[in-house]
Amino acid sequence: MNRLCAWLLLAASVGAAQEARSIVEEAQRRTRTQSQRYEGTLEVIGSKGKIAVKRWRYERLGSHGSSKAVLRFTAPPEVKGVALLVHNHPDRASDQWMWTPALQRDRRIALQDRSTRFFGTDFSFEDLEERDVDQFDYRLAGEETVDGALSWKIEAEPKKTRASQYTRSLIWIRKDNYAWVQMEGYRGGRLIRRVRYLDLELVQGIWTARRLEVTDFTRNSRTVLRVDKLEYNVKLSPEEFTLQALRRES
Amino acid sequence: MRLARLIGWPYARKHVLRTCLTVAGIALGVAVFVAMHAANRAVLGGFERTVDRIAGAAQLQVTAGGFGFPEEVLERVQAVPEVRVAVPVIEAVVDTGLAGQGSLLILGVDMTGDRSLRQYDLESGEEAIIDDPLVFLAQPDSLIVTREFAERNRLEVGHRIPLMTMEGPKQFVVRGIMRPGGFGKAFGGNLAVMDIYAAQKMLGRGRRFDRIDVAVREGVPVERCQAALRAALGPGFEVEPPEARGAHFESMLRGYTFTVNISSLFALFIGMFIIYNSFQIAVTERRVEIGILRALGATQGQIRGLFLVESALLGATGAGLGVILGGAMAQLSAAYIGGLLEDVYGVAQHVEGAELGAPLIASSAALGVLASVLAAWIPSRAAARVDPVQALQKGKYQVLSVGENRARRRAAAASLAAALICLAAGRSAEAFYAGYLLAVLTAILLAPTLSLWLSKLLRPLLRWLRPVEGTLAADSLIHAPRRTSATVAALMLSLAMVIGFAGMAGAIYDSVTQWMDQVLNPDLFVNASGSISRRNFTFPASLAHEIERMEGVDQVQAVRHARVIFGGVPVSVVAADVEKLASKVRRIVIQGDLDEMYRLTAQGRGVIVSDNFADLRGVRLGDTIALPSPSGLVRLPVVGITRDYTDQQGSVLVDRSVYRRWWQEDSADVLRIYLKPGYSPERVRQRILEQFAARQRLFVLDNAEVRREILRLTDQWFGMTYNQIAVAVLVAVLGIVNTLTVSITDRRRELGVLQSVGGLRQQVRHTVWMEAVGIGLIGLVLGLALGAVNLYYTVEMVHRVAGLRIDYQYPWGVAALLVPGMLLVALASALWPAEKAVRGRLVEALEYE
Repeated sequence: MNRLCAWLLLAASVGAAQEARSIVEEAQRRTRTQSQRYEGTLEVIGSKGKIAVKRWRYERLGSHGSSKAVLRFTAPPEVKGVALLVHNHPDRASDQWMWTPALQRDRRIALQDRSTRFFGTDFSFEDLEERDVDQFDYRLAGEETVDGALSWKIEAEPKKTRASQYTRSLIWIRKDNYAWVQMEGYRGGRLIRRVRYLDLELVQGIWTARRLEVTDFTRNSRTVLRVDKLEYNVKLSPEEFTLQALRRES
Repeated sequence: MRLARLIGWPYARKHVLRTCLTVAGIALGVAVFVAMHAANRAVLGGFERTVDRIAGAAQLQVTAGGFGFPEEVLERVQAVPEVRVAVPVIEAVVDTGLAGQGSLLILGVDMTGDRSLRQYDLESGEEAIIDDPLVFLAQPDSLIVTREFAERNRLEVGHRIPLMTMEGPKQFVVRGIMRPGGFGKAFGGNLAVMDIYAAQKMLGRGRRFDRIDVAVREGVPVERCQAALRAALGPGFEVEPPEARGAHFESMLRGYTFTVNISSLFALFIGMFIIYNSFQIAVTERRVEIGILRALGATQGQIRGLFLVESALLGATGAGLGVILGGAMAQLSAAYIGGLLEDVYGVAQHVEGAELGAPLIASSAALGVLASVLAAWIPSRAAARVDPVQALQKGKYQVLSVGENRARRRAAAASLAAALICLAAGRSAEAFYAGYLLAVLTAILLAPTLSLWLSKLLRPLLRWLRPVEGTLAADSLIHAPRRTSATVAALMLSLAMVIGFAGMAGAIYDSVTQWMDQVLNPDLFVNASGSISRRNFTFPASLAHEIERMEGVDQVQAVRHARVIFGGVPVSVVAADVEKLASKVRRIVIQGDLDEMYRLTAQGRGVIVSDNFADLRGVRLGDTIALPSPSGLVRLPVVGITRDYTDQQGSVLVDRSVYRRWWQEDSADVLRIYLKPGYSPERVRQRILEQFAARQRLFVLDNAEVRREILRLTDQWFGMTYNQIAVAVLVAVLGIVNTLTVSITDRRRELGVLQSVGGLRQQVRHTVWMEAVGIGLIGLVLGLALGAVNLYYTVEMVHRVAGLRIDYQYPWGVAALLVPGMLLVALASALWPAEKAVRGRLVEALEYE
């Protein structure tokens, strides 16, 4: 009898894991596009309430786990032209390079540095990477209402092959449209960072958050990213996502 | 102790001057010892503290010598699983261009990852900089400075600092100020942080890093990570904890530390003779007192104890004063030694003032007391053996007994024989140093006998000069060898030290001059750094081609110098176009054929090493040496050994083709320029400056300026030893004053009788003066003779410790200067005792004894 119960429990948990993974997969499938472009405005609200604003232009080619992206700062003047090139890989952490126009130099940003903040914002370099569904183990942790919408609560743990600053994360995905609404990153049981996906809009058939709000609980600061001029499946060439292009366009 | 209080103290009070002179002797010896050790420690400590503070949380550092290594190495290090964080660093000392600020240590770091290792505790700055490295990185003129540096220069955030970059002078902007303490205290606060890629550009480093700082993954032992990194990078890289840099720095200073130790011990040794002399005199003066004590039942042990306690108290007083004086001297010396080491070795460090520390104070005090007790041992033993009956009789107690003299001579003969055996068997360091000590001991043991013989030889000369005064002076010396021999020995030792040092210095100067004549023959030198010993900045090799195309220029040789670790010690690798070098420079060959060694080296089939490299590293002609490079170990045979003073730890000449292939670099830090006949160096220099100075950091020196700079560095190197010798001579002079004061006291009755029978005051003066000159003359003869022996050992020590082969050249010129010099000093030291003798009360003098 006991053995039967154990088998049933195991079967239930495997089922829950499979269900969680399939939810994440479906969420990912629904947002899969050939490419993306937007203009972002970042507001970093420090613990003392001081606000620093930066703007960038973002372009991505490919999707989820095998994409390439370029992020180019456009304001303020002192950082204008600084660019970040990200090559995401499905089987390992992404490669990132930064271009500094004043020096005419690119620099590689190493894997070890990805837990550090992304240039004074509350994002870490890792938060800017795209998550590949295969790099995490998932477990359905229940259902909760977030921002008035009923959502699945899914726990994700990085696989051993995946280096991550978070020992686990919680993801909330809306049940009605499979859109991400919230993510929390934990380190050893301590909440480090929360990302909220706000102002959801249907853009070219894809539910997209037009406002991302990140809170860093270690610093007690907040960053808001507003997404403007968003386009999906724009025509982009792979040559635009190389170091040569990064140098050329500065 | 009670006896010391009841008997010793009144005696010391009665002879205040002599007591003071005795204490001064030991105080000066201890002071030199303390000053040198504290200053040395301050320099080493300053370097280690800077390394430690800059290292932050780094547990290991990856280096490949002074050439640095390509950026790609960083990825190889970061890929090692045991590594948690690996961040690149460039470190260089630059001149600030700010009045009175000297050097600024520039630390180039990658802010995107460096904060994992170092805490940039910023107290003020543009908010964006503190929070956002992006602004810092986006603007390559950004600098973060320490609060200390900012305050000294009245700098605030937004202010500009001029710095000389490889592209000429540039303005940098202060974008952050670090809080004092911790990291901000490194290099005495003269520290600035900039982006590593900006630093590469500023310093002309190309796409290279100086080192990579590594933090080990949690739970992984440092040794395992070290082994993994070594396996991943190969033998061309050093993977060591940060403190290993201190050990390398220390190994570079080995020669200097050794010299300083030898001369400070000499000073202490001479101080011991003053103590010995004083106690020998005290024993003879207090014979009656000792006789009474013995008659009253004092044991031999009590008498010995009385003198030993007195000597210990004097030693403790002298040591105490020596520690205080040494502390003050250390403050002055530390900055000097720091500057010297930076100039000579080109190693950046910042001395933060010398602190003595309890161990040094304790060991110096112990050394002072021990030296004093040791020096007083023989006189106290003599005092204990005084026969009470004889002691109460008046007699010639200053005369050395026949038996005593014989025993000394026998001991001297045995010591000499042992010294000669050591000399014959002297390949080992132990035998060599034992032989040196035994030779000095022989001279010390023979000093009383030789003093007596020389005094007898002097008598006719002094008598011829002044029949009455000369005879009296000579007789005083002959009849009281016990009184004079220790002073003579002290004088002998200090003069031997002067001769040994002068001979060594003279030979080194000659050798360096000869080397400069042979090797440093270009008309102009273009340096990337302001100093000839610093290698912070480098030129691209293309600059050499540009200058070579200029009118009047015959040939330009691009040379790159940098240190690599060989056998645990930093040695210089000199990369030059050997074919060009061969056409202009005839190096001084120690072993091998010059043309053949040039040919093989130019073809990349061998290296030419300096003689000190060969001697210090035990390398012989034909041996294959392995030099570490970022591409692995460069294994090449030694095809020639030549004289070269580029580096005190030795140098290895390789062809630039080897350098390019193995070090993957083509830069230079010096361009050696030869002009066509008829062209003025000054005009070509002006043209180089006009053409390049606006876009390129460079310093153009003519041949004479480089030679002057090398000689200045050599002078600086010997400067500290000059001071120590001066102290040693001063201690010896104190001995003469002491001896003469005692002599006057001893001869009060004799001098009183002389005056009562019509002797003039002037005659008394002359007697004292001639006695002093006699002591000086005897000390000179013995000192110049022992100096010849000392010079032999010094030359040999220079070879063994520094690997330099210098010729034995007796410094006749210095000896000729010493003769009148020391006689004048002896005469000067007699002036006050002579006046004391003349102005003494006659009746009192006649009552004496």
